[in-house]
Amino acid sequence: MTATTTASSSRKLTIARAMAEATAQEMRQDPSVFVMGEDVGPMGGVFGNTRGLHEEFGGERVRDTPISETAFIGAAVGAASDGMRPIVELMFVDFFGVCMDAIYNMMAKNTYFSGGTVNVPMVLMTSTGGGYSDGGQHSQCLYGTFAHLPGMKVVVPSNAYDAKGLMTAAIRDDNPVVFMYHKSLQGMGWLGTEKGATVATPEESYTVEIGKAAVVKEGRDLTLVSLGVGVHHCLRAAKALGEEGFDAEVVDLRSLVPLDRETVRASVAKTGRLIVVDEDYHSYGVSGEIIASVAEHDLACLKAAPRRVAYPDIPIPFTPTMEQWALPNADKIVDAFHQMMSQ
Amino acid sequence: MQPNNDQRLWMYRQMVTSRHLEERIETLYMEGKTPAFNMAKGPIPGEMHLSNGQEPCAVGVCAHLSAEDVVVATHRPHHIAVAKGVDLNAMIAEIFGKATGFSGGRGGHMHIFDPTVNFSCSGIVGETLGPAAGAALSRKMQGKPGVAVAFLGEGAANQGAFHEALNLAAVWKLPVVFVIEDNAWGISVAKQAATAVPRNDVRASGYNMPGVHVADNDVEGVFAAAGEAIARARDGQGPTLIEIETSRLAGHFMGDGEDYRPEGEKEGLQQRDPIPRYRQALIEAGLLDEAADTRLVGEAHERVEAAIRFAQESDFLPPEAALETVFV
Amino acid sequence: MSTAITVPEDLWEGDNEGVITAWLVDDGGQVNQGDLVAEVMVDKAQYEIKAPAAGRLTIAKQEDEVVERGTTIASLDD
Ligand SMILES: Cc1ncc(C[n+]2csc(CCOP(=O)(O)OP(=O)(O)O)c2C)c(N)n1
Ligand SMILES: [Mg+2]
Repeated sequence: MTATTTASSSRKLTIARAMAEATAQEMRQDPSVFVMGEDVGPMGGVFGNTRGLHEEFGGERVRDTPISETAFIGAAVGAASDGMRPIVELMFVDFFGVCMDAIYNMMAKNTYFSGGTVNVPMVLMTSTGGGYSDGGQHSQCLYGTFAHLPGMKVVVPSNAYDAKGLMTAAIRDDNPVVFMYHKSLQGMGWLGTEKGATVATPEESYTVEIGKAAVVKEGRDLTLVSLGVGVHHCLRAAKALGEEGFDAEVVDLRSLVPLDRETVRASVAKTGRLIVVDEDYHSYGVSGEIIASVAEHDLACLKAAPRRVAYPDIPIPFTPTMEQWALPNADKIVDAFHQMMSQ
Repeated sequence: MQPNNDQRLWMYRQMVTSRHLEERIETLYMEGKTPAFNMAKGPIPGEMHLSNGQEPCAVGVCAHLSAEDVVVATHRPHHIAVAKGVDLNAMIAEIFGKATGFSGGRGGHMHIFDPTVNFSCSGIVGETLGPAAGAALSRKMQGKPGVAVAFLGEGAANQGAFHEALNLAAVWKLPVVFVIEDNAWGISVAKQAATAVPRNDVRASGYNMPGVHVADNDVEGVFAAAGEAIARARDGQGPTLIEIETSRLAGHFMGDGEDYRPEGEKEGLQQRDPIPRYRQALIEAGLLDEAADTRLVGEAHERVEAAIRFAQESDFLPPEAALETVFV
Repeated sequence: MSTAITVPEDLWEGDNEGVITAWLVDDGGQVNQGDLVAEVMVDKAQYEIKAPAAGRLTIAKQEDEVVERGTTIASLDD
């Protein structure tokens, strides 16, 4: 079953639980699926997304690794091309530096290098995002960095329903998929969880199609495009703008690769105004890509110059006064709209 | 190589200072975080990796170093920073994210940089060895005095960077010492579950350098091993790898439930707390009595308290300062 | 019949208070015995609260509220 709208069920899950549930369901029906990463075993993952798996499937299929990302992510590439479907975790996306070769020179390219004869059906799950003063090596998003590199799909859920469906789709996909989950959406209370991410989630297995954005709120006057936690900022901003009499549409990208440009273009064609919200760095990233996708397609549909609310091009500061100042939020989105309208 | 009496008391004083700092941070960190443990809250937000129990590694090594020598520490840096002589005021202010901190609060507890004593650290596991090797190379190329020391956890010895840096340092005979603090855990993963050898010092032989093991978190054992290694480095004889069996008396980070520890492990470690043990040794050696100990401990505590007051009374930089110092 | 959902006395050790981080069923929702209904956090550890019986859920302690072991956090009515 492929579902694109949230089903009505009273059972809710956190994203952490949704990821674990999708993984468990796939592991039950497909013996080739297994999990590797730091602290993913009895501890259940630092961010809770492998909780219960070690208990159910044991250490053979849910493996705590040495702190050796190059080795175990490289190993996942090898196992994936040899009949397994590994799910590997890079604890924080910031740590990509120590193992990027395995990711983008092998995981992402082996299919192409082999003319499509060797596939790499693996999932690389990794946490993103800041807002809780973890400093500049533990708070980045790096969406643009990963999405920029051809050969791997990239998904970024904003809620548990999508997280479960995208995780299931990612595991079943015959291509490598990078599953980027934002820490503040995980439902771990100590990360100051965004409540809007914990939503009704069906128990039965389902997929959310990779490469399809969702219009999470319809509107006529403005298109807000975002991903992950930014979607929740946009929904709050849309509410505030609604009180001022403006009707904002909110598009949740959900996937960065493939990117659903059609949904974005259709929305902007309708509203004529575009603000992109991204917790990743301002330059060379998702926000620029979205604006370019609209502009190169139909400049005439734009009633105003598009804007972006993104992270400044600086390493992420530790101190909360600076970090909170630099992060996107609903007020900044509302301000950006006001500026757009006053021009 | 044995410490003289001044060195003994110096090491004890640094351990007491560091421990008091950690105990105070522990309380301050929890302010605003109970009952709801929200990492973003309180005067010290973010992750917090305390070094309680690992003080012997820091003092036994740093007793042989002066300000000109280079130290690169890990995500668990406080004890090493104290022993290396970083400015306590600026360090604690940094941990509080204040303007008077080393970076004005941009770095935080995993990113303490005090260039006046050549101290730095990184939160990426395994990434301390390369920079230390590079500093050692620079000293050699410039003909400047001084050696470099990289600290790392036993978990980091499974990173590629560890093996690469050891080989590089040995091939180029660099004046560098690699010090593994083996606290038996990398977060929830036990050393024996993650490491193919029971002791990492044996890995030195793969890189043609001496490997030394120090058992039982022994302050003077560390002093002796580090003394020889640093003397070799200063003498142009190249790198050494040291592994120290130490203990992490706290969780991996603040808020860690530590369910992964076997029953009774923590209590056992607590009983082998290196600080009371060393105090006892100094008393038995006639270097310390109750009165002198009280005085020394009181002074160490007051140093920490003064630095905490300094940090608390300092202001934050204006938020826009976030945009500054990306480049010089 | 009404059954209280209380935080089990043995859910965690020590006298720490916890906080409800998530209700996984909406107020008024129908649950089966054994269903996971809420998460409670103590330090960084998360604990599960399961329904002791089937019934319609009435939440008494909301998300972010402080609870102790033994606190009644909801009731189930059939
Ligand atoms: C490259 C990298 N991988 C993973 C982490 C997450 N992490 C932080 S500390 C830690 C455990 C480190 O263990 P060890 O090296 O033994 O040091 P200890 O924490 O015990 O002092 C891990 C896995 C990281 N910071 N960097
Ligand atoms: Mg360790």
